Amino acid sequence: MAIHSLPTEASEVLAAPQRDLKGRAFRLIPVALLIVILGVLSAVVPYFLSLNNFISILMQSAALGLMALGLTAVLITGGIDLSIPSLMSFSAVLGAMYMKAGGSPVVASFLMLAVALAGGCVNGLAVAWLKMIPFVVTLSTMAVFSGASIWITNAVSVTGIPRRFITTVMADVGVIPIPVIVFVVMTLLMQLLLTRSLYGRWLYAVGTNIRAARVSGIPTQRVLFGAYVFSGLAAGLAAIITTAWLGTAGGTIGSEGVVLDVVSSAVLGGVSIYGGAGTAVGAFVGTILIKLISNSLNFLQASYYLVLVTKGVVIVAFVAVDSLFRRKS
Amino acid sequence: MAAKERFTLGRFLLSYGFVLTLIAIVVLCSIASPAFFTFKNALFILHASAPTMILATGVAFVLMTGKMDISIGSTAYLSAGVGIMLMVHAHMSPLPACLIIFAIGALLGAVNGFIVVVLRVNPLITTLGTFFTFRGLALQITNSLTISIPSDLGEFGSIRVGPFFLDTLIAGVVLAAYHLVHTRTVFGRYVMAVGNGVDVAQKVGVPVDRTTFLTFVLAGLMASVGGVLTMAQVGSISPSLGQGYEFTAIALLVIGGVSLFGGEGTILPGIVLGALTLTIIQSGLNFVGASPFVYPLVRGGIIFVAMYADSLKNAVARKVRLIPE
Amino acid sequence: MSDPFLRMVDVRKRFPGVDALKSVTLEAYAGEAVALIGANGAGKSTLMNVLGGVIAPDGGYIEIDGKRAAFRTPAEASRDGVAFVHQELALMPTLNILDNMLITSFPRRKGLIDYRAGEELCRNALKQLGYDFPLRTRVRDLSPGDQQIVEIARTLLGKSRIVIFDEPTSSLTSREKERLFEIIRIMKSRGTAIIYITHLLDEVFTVCERAVIMRNGAKVAESRIADLTRGQIVEKMIGSQEAVAYFQHHERRPGEVLLTVEHLNREGFLDDVSFTLRSGEVVGLWGLLGSGRTELFRALMGLDPIHRGRIRLHKPGSEVVDLSPQRAHSVMGMLTEDRRTDGLLLPMSIRLNMSIANLKNLLYRGWPFVYRAREESVTREYVKKLNIKSTSIEQRVATLSGGNQQKVVVGRWLQTKPLIFLLDEPTRGLDVEAKAELHAIVANMADAGAAVVIVSSDLDEIMSLSDRYLVMVRGRIVKEYSALATKHELLATASGISAQAEGVG
Repeated sequence: MAIHSLPTEASEVLAAPQRDLKGRAFRLIPVALLIVILGVLSAVVPYFLSLNNFISILMQSAALGLMALGLTAVLITGGIDLSIPSLMSFSAVLGAMYMKAGGSPVVASFLMLAVALAGGCVNGLAVAWLKMIPFVVTLSTMAVFSGASIWITNAVSVTGIPRRFITTVMADVGVIPIPVIVFVVMTLLMQLLLTRSLYGRWLYAVGTNIRAARVSGIPTQRVLFGAYVFSGLAAGLAAIITTAWLGTAGGTIGSEGVVLDVVSSAVLGGVSIYGGAGTAVGAFVGTILIKLISNSLNFLQASYYLVLVTKGVVIVAFVAVDSLFRRKS
Repeated sequence: MAAKERFTLGRFLLSYGFVLTLIAIVVLCSIASPAFFTFKNALFILHASAPTMILATGVAFVLMTGKMDISIGSTAYLSAGVGIMLMVHAHMSPLPACLIIFAIGALLGAVNGFIVVVLRVNPLITTLGTFFTFRGLALQITNSLTISIPSDLGEFGSIRVGPFFLDTLIAGVVLAAYHLVHTRTVFGRYVMAVGNGVDVAQKVGVPVDRTTFLTFVLAGLMASVGGVLTMAQVGSISPSLGQGYEFTAIALLVIGGVSLFGGEGTILPGIVLGALTLTIIQSGLNFVGASPFVYPLVRGGIIFVAMYADSLKNAVARKVRLIPE
Repeated sequence: MSDPFLRMVDVRKRFPGVDALKSVTLEAYAGEAVALIGANGAGKSTLMNVLGGVIAPDGGYIEIDGKRAAFRTPAEASRDGVAFVHQELALMPTLNILDNMLITSFPRRKGLIDYRAGEELCRNALKQLGYDFPLRTRVRDLSPGDQQIVEIARTLLGKSRIVIFDEPTSSLTSREKERLFEIIRIMKSRGTAIIYITHLLDEVFTVCERAVIMRNGAKVAESRIADLTRGQIVEKMIGSQEAVAYFQHHERRPGEVLLTVEHLNREGFLDDVSFTLRSGEVVGLWGLLGSGRTELFRALMGLDPIHRGRIRLHKPGSEVVDLSPQRAHSVMGMLTEDRRTDGLLLPMSIRLNMSIANLKNLLYRGWPFVYRAREESVTREYVKKLNIKSTSIEQRVATLSGGNQQKVVVGRWLQTKPLIFLLDEPTRGLDVEAKAELHAIVANMADAGAAVVIVSSDLDEIMSLSDRYLVMVRGRIVKEYSALATKHELLATASGISAQAEGVG
């Protein structure tokens, strides 16, 4: 869903330097917001500025954050992947059922990753080679994956996850739980790859102008495919973490809001819907923001529904502002 | 003068594939369960399709302009939710309550239209956002409860005129009206013009923004009508109202020939074909005793295939040859 | 001669940093066609966009039939009798002829469209032009020539008194061109005032009574056609000093064969194309729009599939090998026709744009990471070599002028040191100075040993640069000419007329 807003008039082109400053300011908003919210919360909530609390927040954000990182790669190419949460759920269900039937947790983890990667491949194939629109591909795979989850489990959550699995995945390294480490490491790795590697250049080029990228010799189809496979991988990792965190898999509790959270995390983190812009660190910050906002709203005893409303409004507002900046130049 | 399209198996399948599949499914289901192929069942299928057809009609124009609206399910739920609260708690009689429901539907559509046209936000993100916002509001208002509709409205859901259910007839009227608007009014032609390309349409003098805005309003309005009919059929409102509507509507439209790329498609017979295809598949699965959870999965698969066919059709249509055949 | 039917007086338009129109006055008379001539960027499109209601002028006024007119939208302009037949036809492909023609003027009855009345209107309009298409045909099923007829018929419906044609013959066969000229004659006889924008001078002499020549946003000459020669027109278009330089010709000795193309075929686009390329030569690939030149480039670069034929690369010091798409990227560079849609990464910096095709040579010791320092120094080297005016290498290319943008793309490919350079309309949209710089760059490339193939719709440009010519028509190379070809021969061949039929040498 690459929507390239190319300047069409000389006036637009020549006034662009201003846009650059505004664009840069826009990218800094997430960080600024984060600082503000942290400031407010630390004043209001006792012991907010403690290491334990930070680790707790990161832990809550890990699964969502990984999915947001996966989505970021896809968004940079100018596409979108709505199927990430349902793919996560589906692979979690399969892995959990395997463990419940007596399988080893290690194999189950690999199973989750494999299924998620396969799902990513399906999306990637459809977008890169069948040349379908990312939005509809992932909308339909979202329907397929969630439908499949419900069908296999008969709409009942899968329980009976072995303790061994839970304790291994949620183990601490020093004071930091493994999921948090995975989240942080993935963010840093992805940031490095995005900003300094050949593949990062390719990704941004494809998202900025896929035709120019192709003429320049970039294997655009492979790049697109890779982005969706990566988001599949991220979904797989999130599946492992979520299953261990919750102790169950599947079910439809609150599942409808997750897609919104993942997209919001990326968008709030400065990743553009239109492609060609955004960073891993941005998605990281966006995820934390979303979590903090959710937690704050819960703390204020806002209803679940109001939270949904707020998130819907926020995401539209952010994209509207991004849109405005793109056109103002 | 006019170039004739070559008849190839590929193009034939693309255009009529789903009709053929539909016929095949009807045959299969009838063999598997003789009760399937009866007049009574056909009536019931039409009855069940009615709300979906009405919903899809509203979204059809949005798709024809080359845009998207995935918030219709939430619009249906929210507008119906307000209506039911008015009927049950404020003891409003059904008729004025329904009018308010429709007004709210149109208003919610206008919200989408405003964000897309005035704020220039991508329609996908817009309707993704309103999908959640409207749903959240609806859940808030109804407190996620299942609320039964007042009896006089409930009877409405099962009135028959002759052998036909009333809502089937209503759907028929709505479809006919929309078809007329699509083919014989300036607005209908503007919709198709916009779908061909906003730039050309603007160059030629078509009021693109106004047209786009109206399509969203209509989508919202029809969503609320569909919501009321569903409520009448089921007898109550619950959080499951509206869920999956957007999938169904889009799948139905694409199967019926409305392209996601804009500028293509018909109301009649497109929507009828699409709706029947989906409903027959659902009914058929029921009849052969499949688990009720299979349908969402099957529907997802159908959407995927339908989208792929649409992409192919679009790619074929745009191929320009320098050396004529 | 009576009073002018149309007067555009003292029209001015300024875009940030650029004076697009500097007090231009234009007159058109009923029943007469006036040619509006000028190089790219001269301002003719801008002037006509003002007349057509697409943009609003900053100063000046328009008078039609003695009355002041001020339109803010194309719809208003058309209501006042101005019709604009654009170069890219403003038609809607999935709609039929009827809908396309009536889209802003449907006849109505009781709120619904009255198609019966509409059909009659359309049929009459088409008949006036001598045509009778089935009205329910979808416009996309018509040939480009027929589509243009539909669009012209649409202007007749609007009872337009002023019709602007913008490069109308670019997609037409020669037969369709004759048809168009006949239609214009018919329109003139009915009293319509015609403004005819073109850069093809032969057409000017065929169709128009007067000519207005623009350069750099101002009108530089106006005269009756009968009083002008082609040479005088060219001189006015580009300024007298350039005229001489424009036709200068370099003598060059081509070297070894670098590429042999044998019977290349791509279904529907290329038909049995064969030629060779030698190092150190500039080959002009000439043809009309739709002749397949861009498609040939894309096939050579491996961007489009080839159905039959071979391309063989004769790399100096290596064996002769078949050219695969991967290999193509390592030895060939291509400047695309439209740098904005498929050349530049507009929001990105000069550095990022320039290095994007050369990344594998800028990696750090075999790791897939970009060696920033090297990238920066290479970028600076080429910015200097190509004289790209910018504040820094981090400047966004969107903010550069057209000429500098084009140089960035050239620099992108020069970095890779290609053996073969494919240039598709390299000076489109550039001012005269930038054009001259680019011509010098092309000459340098060839002198340095590369094989350069240049596509240009500007015959003068291609003639001043090329050592030999390949002329394409409808996907085939129909003739090869040496440097001694005349303009007439080239034009005639490209239009599908053989030299014998013309009776000219």
